[in-house]
Amino acid sequence: MRPAALPICMETLRKAAVAMVTTSAVAVTSLRSFSMTSALAKRSAKGKGPDRRITLIRYFLHHPLTPRPLRFSRNRYLRHWTIHRAWNLYQAQLRQARHLELQRQFQAMQAACEELRTGAGDGGRLFRISMSKQGVFTDMFPIEYARLQTEGPSKDGWNYDWRRV
Amino acid sequence: MSHCELASKPLLQCIRKTYAIGLPTLQQSTRSFRLTAGRRDEAQGQAESTKEPFYRSPDPVLVTSPKLEKRLLKSGISPIGSRRRRAALQNSQNIPFEQLPYQCFQEARKVLLADRKEKLKEIERQRERIAKLRETPAEEAGGERPKQSRLKTFENDLERLKILADVNDPLVKKRFEDGQGDMNKPIYRYLWDKKWREYRRLILVQRITQMKVLPDVLPHCDPVVDVKLYFGGKNIQPGQFVDSRVSVTPPKLTIQPFQRGEKLVTIAVIDSDVPNVDANGFDYKCHFLAINVPISPTNIRVDLSKLSDDSQVILPWLPPVSLKGSPYHRLSLFIMEQRNPQLLEFASVKENEVNRENLLLRDIKSKYNLKPIGAHLFRNKWDDGTTEIMDQIGFQGADVELRRKRVEPLPYKRRNPASFR
Repeated sequence: MRPAALPICMETLRKAAVAMVTTSAVAVTSLRSFSMTSALAKRSAKGKGPDRRITLIRYFLHHPLTPRPLRFSRNRYLRHWTIHRAWNLYQAQLRQARHLELQRQFQAMQAACEELRTGAGDGGRLFRISMSKQGVFTDMFPIEYARLQTEGPSKDGWNYDWRRV
Repeated sequence: MSHCELASKPLLQCIRKTYAIGLPTLQQSTRSFRLTAGRRDEAQGQAESTKEPFYRSPDPVLVTSPKLEKRLLKSGISPIGSRRRRAALQNSQNIPFEQLPYQCFQEARKVLLADRKEKLKEIERQRERIAKLRETPAEEAGGERPKQSRLKTFENDLERLKILADVNDPLVKKRFEDGQGDMNKPIYRYLWDKKWREYRRLILVQRITQMKVLPDVLPHCDPVVDVKLYFGGKNIQPGQFVDSRVSVTPPKLTIQPFQRGEKLVTIAVIDSDVPNVDANGFDYKCHFLAINVPISPTNIRVDLSKLSDDSQVILPWLPPVSLKGSPYHRLSLFIMEQRNPQLLEFASVKENEVNRENLLLRDIKSKYNLKPIGAHLFRNKWDDGTTEIMDQIGFQGADVELRRKRVEPLPYKRRNPASFR
């Protein structure tokens, strides 16, 4: 859907709906004095037009700015399909590769932790300290971490001592 | 030279020139495959070899002049495609689809071919794994049942890989769409199954559940084979009304299974709406029953009139009729797989199932260990030909017309009794 066209359309529709309701209300008031039907029930039964979603779909499908559907000859469609499948396959392969890389990294970290726990020779003390979650959410992390760490600007800011030689 | 030939000539010449100038490497490759002779050259070559000019034996793919077309039509061959297309084909270099010189398409093909090669390797690996697991004794594999379940998993994986290897091939897709797929290959079976499940199976399941065939005739059925029903060569949609004069002759079926291998099936046609006036209800009647019908992915045609009487047909076809005034009759056809690998014994079944009236499919199903794998449905109601058919088959009580019982209205009761006030 084109975003520019959408609000205009909604606006016109809403206006139309409001107009319809007001006219019907005017027409009904004169008749209502002897009717026993509750006004709300009658309005809800009568005032339901066609589904608004369907109206919108029709609007956009038949709008002159909507591009025509793709119409290809048989061979051209088959070529199009081939390219589409190849592209999807390529994307899937990329996804798979990324997933495997993440898995590999995770397992490497796990192995390193295991090594720290069993192979450091201190009965797992270092490992326990590194795994300690104490103060994680209470003594927050350094404020510098909230910002992406970059080379510049420098920590000192302005170099006041600088003189042209 | 016909009109469209004149129109398409400059364009084609232009295209040919660009081929010749712009794509030397490609042309080389096509040349190595097959000389880039035009269709016309080829046709001429053939004509020379057979010593017959083109107008003597026109090719339905290439013919463009109206005179020759007429002659072809008279001899019973219709020209293929539009005249514009045929004219274009005359001058086209006959490049096969997979060598068409479009860069993106060729790159895409490279990706797909590499993937296919990978898949083929995986298939090999999977086969080796299966063979290895088969050879290991059950004790080493952790018992008989885990071994079997692992085998089953491996085989499912293998089937999946076989499909994945071919599913991206445009020529496979083309062949499938043209209906030329070889049903022995898993990829075509998979494609057909997918297509069937997208629309026709949904319709079938909707009809047999909405018309209450499923709880009435059988408690449950999950159709896995594609069944088509033909009366007099015409395809019948599930639930269609069939004229009783048409349904006198037994129908033909195509039963398309999507699993490899041959199956033995039982075919039954049951009418679940025979009116029973005494009980004020409805009875069942079996219109056809045959056992031991072999079907396989390639052997799909079953003609109910051509099944053998002394080894398959238990109850021959009885034309469906319905009495005047009775509600429509649902005639449901069920394909049921015989679970035992050996044939059912014809003689004993024939001895047991002699009575068409009130033959319950549920009983047959449990008695002979059957599994419903396919269904179809058509309907029958009283029509102009019914009396004639009733005379033919010697139907008892053909002159009866059913009426609905008049429901006496309840006596008038004054609304607004004292308690309302």
